[in-house]
Amino acid sequence: MPEVKSVFREVLPKQGQLSVEDVPVLVLCKPKLLPLKSVTLEKLEKMQQEAQELIRQQEAAHREQQEHEQ
Amino acid sequence: MEVTLSMDPLFLAWSYFRRRKFQKCSDLCTKVLEDNPFDQAAWSLKTRALTEMVYIDEVEVDQEGIAEIMLDESAIAQVARPGTSLRLPGTSQGGGPTPAIRPVTQSGRPITGFVRPSTQSGRPGTMEQAIRTPRTANTARPVTSASGRFVRLGTASMLTHQDGPFINMSRLNLAKYAQKPNLSKALFEYIFHHENDVKNALDLAALATEHAQFKDWWWKVQLGKCYYRLGLYREAEKQFRSALSHQEFVDTYLYLAKVYQRLDQPITALNLFKQGLDHFPGEVTLLTGIARIHEEMNNITSATEYYKDVLKQDNTNVEAIACIGSNHFYTDQPEIALRFYRRLLQMGVYNCQLYNNLGLCCFYAQQYDMTLSSFERALALVSSDDEQADIWYNIGHVAVGIGDLTLAYQCFKLALAFNNDNAEAYNNLAVLELRKGRIEQAKAFLQTAASLSPHMYEPHFNFSVLSDKVGDLQSSYVAAQKSEDAFPEHVDTQKMLKTLRQHFAVL
Repeated sequence: MPEVKSVFREVLPKQGQLSVEDVPVLVLCKPKLLPLKSVTLEKLEKMQQEAQELIRQQEAAHREQQEHEQ
Repeated sequence: MEVTLSMDPLFLAWSYFRRRKFQKCSDLCTKVLEDNPFDQAAWSLKTRALTEMVYIDEVEVDQEGIAEIMLDESAIAQVARPGTSLRLPGTSQGGGPTPAIRPVTQSGRPITGFVRPSTQSGRPGTMEQAIRTPRTANTARPVTSASGRFVRLGTASMLTHQDGPFINMSRLNLAKYAQKPNLSKALFEYIFHHENDVKNALDLAALATEHAQFKDWWWKVQLGKCYYRLGLYREAEKQFRSALSHQEFVDTYLYLAKVYQRLDQPITALNLFKQGLDHFPGEVTLLTGIARIHEEMNNITSATEYYKDVLKQDNTNVEAIACIGSNHFYTDQPEIALRFYRRLLQMGVYNCQLYNNLGLCCFYAQQYDMTLSSFERALALVSSDDEQADIWYNIGHVAVGIGDLTLAYQCFKLALAFNNDNAEAYNNLAVLELRKGRIEQAKAFLQTAASLSPHMYEPHFNFSVLSDKVGDLQSSYVAAQKSEDAFPEHVDTQKMLKTLRQHFAVL
């Protein structure tokens, strides 16, 4: 690698003290990788959703029937 | 249609069954049974078809209800020694990542790369936490008993029949069926999986194993499964052990290990897996079992080793790839994690979780061109509001990373709009609010975050810093203590506590 001459020159102070005030900073919660779902879990969820959908449909049908009778 | 009509209906039903068209198979069997109610072949095939429709791998299913968690009598030691219990995740010396880098779940474990029915629960420490932890996949409410989901599925399967259930359990002569080995096994699976009637299944299994003169390992395994579901773990262990003495079988090892895990004896389970590996060298499910236990004991390094062993045997194992990938991401190697997730994509996994992870990995590996398109795809693939919230939360991080705080603010707000209980989003929103100088708003958000998930240290610590700034030293001290409980090794919390103690000493 040939050295490239930079326009900017770094400044490295050779004298004096360097002090940094350590102030507590607020922390963010970390990014969250989402876990992948296992096949069993996906099937369970699918079955549960289908079952709920079915129950909802049947209840709706039931309600309609009742209203019809009235 | 003419062709199908001329075909023997039972043969056609079999063909449907083999092609996994269970509904059609079942309908056809029903027709056959209407013509001849005593056709055993059709009856047996229909039970099998109905079972297959709702079949789930019993090894994977493991749901603890609140009662099981809070009123657990099977634990041997209340205060277990470090490294011997699944209940004290922080006690292992495995060198897992700290919560400062890797987010933790309610039970204090680092989040995992792969979720199974049993990983969802964790073991919350208090009743309040137990009530708050979402236990089923879709509802935020916990299951009131271990059978919550099973009961619901059972009733649903009955609802589909207008004229009652296919087999009337109460009128079944179990003793008669137990003597017919060709029918009894299908019937057992039907009762166990479709009806979820564990008591009757147990009766049938007991009669059948008696009929087989206690020599059939299959029935013993089924007995063990029933005992496990009923919470009789020692009886289940006996049955599985007995079955193993008849016939070495991978499944039996897995069931037995499940019993030991439930009894909170991870070391015994590990030994058992190793015994199993002696008989079945390189068996993937056994290796995965070992890796899972290490992971649950917060020993991520050895877990990763075992997941790598899994990949040596089966290089398409999604669980192993996902876990190793997430581990790389949280050990500051997002570019390697990216390669693992890309491998999953090549294998055909196509869901919002994967695209979300790809997006995050791309961003932190400085491949900015792919980041936003990945997140867009993830958003296009979501199936629930919770997932949507998590993705917006992560996009918020990207926005923070590029310094676009307005976008970040909007993202976290969106995350909260989709899931009002997203404590992480509350915390991050609070930090952004404070930057804008709205102290009261930030305080409110932090308090919400802290009450939503007390296991996270961030809201407590932030609240401590904030209170310290406005001069409320007492609240600051209390919050710092909570933060210390959640994450004892956190250096900034320690410093905070030290300065506060000095302050109080001066006063």
